[in-house]
Amino acid sequence: MFELSTGVCNPKMLNEGDYSAYDALYLGDYSCPLYPENFSAHIDVLSKAVETVHNWGKKSFVRLYAVPSNHELLWMEEFIEEVFKLPVDGIEVHNMGLLRMLKNMGNQIPVHLGVFGNLYTHETARILKEYGVERVYPNPELSLKEIVFIKEQTPIDVLVPVHGKMPLVISETCFILEHDASSEGKCNYACTEEHWLHRSEGDWSLKDTGRMTVSGKDLCMIEYMQQMVDQGLQHFHVQNLGEPADYAGTVGAIYRRELDRITAGLQPESMEEMLQALSAHAKMGLCNGYYFESAGQHYIGRG
Amino acid sequence: MAILMAPGGTLEMAKMVLDEGAEATYVGVKGWSRRGARDELDDNDIHEIIDYAGERHREVRIVLNTLPSSTEIPLFLEHIERYSNWGAKGFMISDIGLMRLARQHLPDIDIHTSVGFGITNYEDVKFLKEMGATYVVLPYRLSVEEIARISEEIGSGIEVFLFKTPSGGKICPGKCMMSSYFSFKRSVDAQGKDHFYGSASRGGDCLRVCQTKWDFSDETAILDEGITIKENPALWLHELPAYLDAGVDCLKVPGRDRSTELVRELIRLYRRVVDTIKEQDNPDLQRFDEPLVALRERWRTERGRRDKRLLGEALLGSGQAAIAS
Repeated sequence: MFELSTGVCNPKMLNEGDYSAYDALYLGDYSCPLYPENFSAHIDVLSKAVETVHNWGKKSFVRLYAVPSNHELLWMEEFIEEVFKLPVDGIEVHNMGLLRMLKNMGNQIPVHLGVFGNLYTHETARILKEYGVERVYPNPELSLKEIVFIKEQTPIDVLVPVHGKMPLVISETCFILEHDASSEGKCNYACTEEHWLHRSEGDWSLKDTGRMTVSGKDLCMIEYMQQMVDQGLQHFHVQNLGEPADYAGTVGAIYRRELDRITAGLQPESMEEMLQALSAHAKMGLCNGYYFESAGQHYIGRG
Repeated sequence: MAILMAPGGTLEMAKMVLDEGAEATYVGVKGWSRRGARDELDDNDIHEIIDYAGERHREVRIVLNTLPSSTEIPLFLEHIERYSNWGAKGFMISDIGLMRLARQHLPDIDIHTSVGFGITNYEDVKFLKEMGATYVVLPYRLSVEEIARISEEIGSGIEVFLFKTPSGGKICPGKCMMSSYFSFKRSVDAQGKDHFYGSASRGGDCLRVCQTKWDFSDETAILDEGITIKENPALWLHELPAYLDAGVDCLKVPGRDRSTELVRELIRLYRRVVDTIKEQDNPDLQRFDEPLVALRERWRTERGRRDKRLLGEALLGSGQAAIAS
């Protein structure tokens, strides 16, 4: 009935994490092809991962690099040709040029639009459907009402992020390399450790993963799962990029428990315990993103 | 030969740039462009500038480049139909759904895809052409070589800003939501138009949160202190002949949110530059260096003032003391 998914960037993450709560895994880091053994750029490790994920009885979706420049289209075309040979359940695309390329290459695999695809309207969703898009990840700035409207107006699935840091801006170059003098301009995979941006005179925080800046706070919608299900939403996602190994397992188990409760039609549990457990994994606190028409960093809460 | 398109942040500015030699001006519709209301025009002003430009055989491009709500689409179509009836030919749009609807409703208009689309490669440009775009506005970050490659692939219809950032970096505009993460508010006006304060993509101002001072750290130490997250683009000059050789059709002068006086000086300078390139095989642009340096400085000062105001609003909006550093 429902699908709970998360992202896994490379074999290390796949081996170290607990993904038992999830129905599907998005394979690859779409922000940087240089990330070590990134499934989005290494067909050999991707192939093994797809097999592993299927052996676990889960779906596997491949994430493609989100912002390719002209000179990167060639290797990406070769990579996509190889992806076509794998039994993957979907390909996530953020870039309209790549979407066009996939269509022209005769792609038969369902396409998912990624977060940087800038989906704001149902009219755009209708066009994307013509290019083979079966599922869209709406821009984080959309409210829950707008997401439900798109879902109701288009024959397309909507992936709803329910937990984790929100992608806020993507970059063609690495912020860590540019600002860590010790790297001397050479990638030493420093992005595998946490990096933060804090406003010098205040409490604004952002997390930086090198080529992407994400929210400092963790989006948390555990209190609203029933409401979202009641509005017809079925595909839920936990953002896991750059998180410690136990993050996906802990967060996934909490959301799975809530989805199982909803499926069974049981009375709501107290949220206190779940919120406490989720807060423990959110260094800068929790937020509700833009779902309730407020600034992304605020937590509204049911009170 | 490429045309010079200039900003019309106010009716006065829009008229002035046409008088100073720009072949076209671009004006934002209140609530529908990537700027706050103070740098946009209402319908009376838009009607007036369309007539003004028409009498002088010049062009007006209407900017409706927000990424709106689905429910705003009927209003969008009403707007473009009205402006088209008044004689507007070009419309600047970001959302691909709106782009195709506009093309279906008004087959004869020119559609300019906004820089807000966030193009990164020539396949993006081909996609936009398939969506009905007549012209594509390329981002500030692209090199001459990348523009030449795009031009080679698509033929014509390329516009660039007279603005550039170092190659690479944060993809802005087009893929950035940092401003609205800290400060954002939705309201609906009497016409049913949504307004999204704090989101440039959705028609409010970008509150320039990237321009405050930030400390960058890893798990053990601060790596860099008091930095901005993004570099600002700068006005450029010497690359201009190469850009024109690369197939650029339109040179877009930025500055809807700058003073009319500064924009006047910019248009005068760039008009002379473009005419010099037109008239000479190997144009010497060095004589324009000095005035451009002075204009860059004025630009930087005005931008700093505006950033401080917007950042102050962002801080207030997010409940912090309004000390915009």
